[in-house]
Amino acid sequence: MGRKKGVARPRGARLRLDGRAALRLTAGFGAGLAFWLAFSAPYEKTVAGAAEFLLRLFERPAVTSLVARAGEILVDRSDFPPASPRPGLPAADLHFNFVLLAALFALAPHPLELRRFGRFWIAAGGLWAIHVLALVFQVEALYATRLGAWSDAHYGALARNIWAGGFHFYQIAGRFAAPFALWWALGNFEFRNSKFEFPG
Amino acid sequence: MSAVKQNGSSNRRSLVFLAKFLALLVAFYALVAWNPVNDAVIVPFTAGIARVSGVLLNALGEKVSVEGTEIRSGSFAVQIENGCNGVEAALLFGAAVLAFPAPWRRRLTGLVGGFAAIQGLNFVRVVSLFWIGAHRPALFSSSHTVLWQSAVVLASVLLFLFWASRPETRGAEADRGHGP
Repeated sequence: MGRKKGVARPRGARLRLDGRAALRLTAGFGAGLAFWLAFSAPYEKTVAGAAEFLLRLFERPAVTSLVARAGEILVDRSDFPPASPRPGLPAADLHFNFVLLAALFALAPHPLELRRFGRFWIAAGGLWAIHVLALVFQVEALYATRLGAWSDAHYGALARNIWAGGFHFYQIAGRFAAPFALWWALGNFEFRNSKFEFPG
Repeated sequence: MSAVKQNGSSNRRSLVFLAKFLALLVAFYALVAWNPVNDAVIVPFTAGIARVSGVLLNALGEKVSVEGTEIRSGSFAVQIENGCNGVEAALLFGAAVLAFPAPWRRRLTGLVGGFAAIQGLNFVRVVSLFWIGAHRPALFSSSHTVLWQSAVVLASVLLFLFWASRPETRGAEADRGHGP
C-alpha cells in the first residue's frame, strides 16, 4: 500500500529483524565504513585538538600537545627531552565504533528520514565527545603508567588506577557499548508488547 | 492524553533499561578486570579459545602450534588478548539481557544461547584473522580492528534484539513495573 504525498506516516514504524532490516544494516555498515575511511584523518585532528585543550586546561604549566598524523595520535610534551621518542597512540582503535553507530541507526525503517538522520548526527556528536574523553584518559594513562620513574613521581596509586582503569574500560567495554547506548537513547525506542518501535 | 502518558511511560522504561545496562556493564567489567578473576577465569578461557582455534586451523591445513594464548605458524603468530576473546561482546549482551524486563528463566536461556552464539562467531573471527594474517598480512589490521570487532559486536546487539522481541518475552509485560 503506497503512501500519499503530504500524509503523515503512521507513528510507530516497528522494527522487524527481517531481510529488509539485514539489508539496511549491511548498507548502513558499508556507508558508515566508507564515510569513516574518507574522513578519519580530519576527524582525528578535531578529536586530538579537543583532547589537547582539555589536557592543557588542567596542566600547570600546559605542556601537552597532540598531533594526529597517519593514523596515530602523537603525544608530545614541551618538557620531554628533545632526543626522546614521542609515543604514538593508534587512532583507529579509538573511533572505529562510528561504523557501528551508522549500522545500528540504519536498522530502523526509513533511516534517511530527516528526523531519524538528524538523531543519527546528534548521536555522532555524542560519540565524538566520548572519543575526546577516551583520548584524554588514554594520554593520562600513558603519563601515569608508561613513563617509569617520571610516572611514579607525578601520579599516585589512585590516579594511576583511575586513568588506566578508565581507558581500559573504554577498550574492553565502553567503545562497544557507546554506540549501542547512544542508539538506544536517541533512536527513540518504544516498548509496546515487548516489540521495539521507532516512532516517527 | 493516554498516548502522551504511554509515551512518557515508554521513555521512562527505556531510560531505566539504559541505566541498568550501563550499571551492569560497569559491574561486569570490574569483575573481569579484577586480577584474580582475570588470572583464574579469563586467561584460561582465552587459552581454551586459542586451543580450539588451533585445532580448527590445523584441520584447515594451516599447521599451527598453540602456546597459552598464542597461535603460531611458520609465517605468522597471533596473541589472543582481551577484546579478541569474545568476552567484550558477551559482557555487552549479558548486560542488555539482564537489564531487559523478562522472566529469569528466559534470561538464563538467552544468556546461555547468546554466549554460545557469540563464542561460535568468535572462533570464525580468530580462524579467519589468522588466515588473513598468514596469507594477506596487509589486510590484517583493518580486518582485525574494524571489520571483525564491529561484526562481533553487531551480532551481539542483533542477538539481544532478536531475543528481546521473541513472543515469549511478552510474559515480561506482567513484569512491567520492574523494567524499562
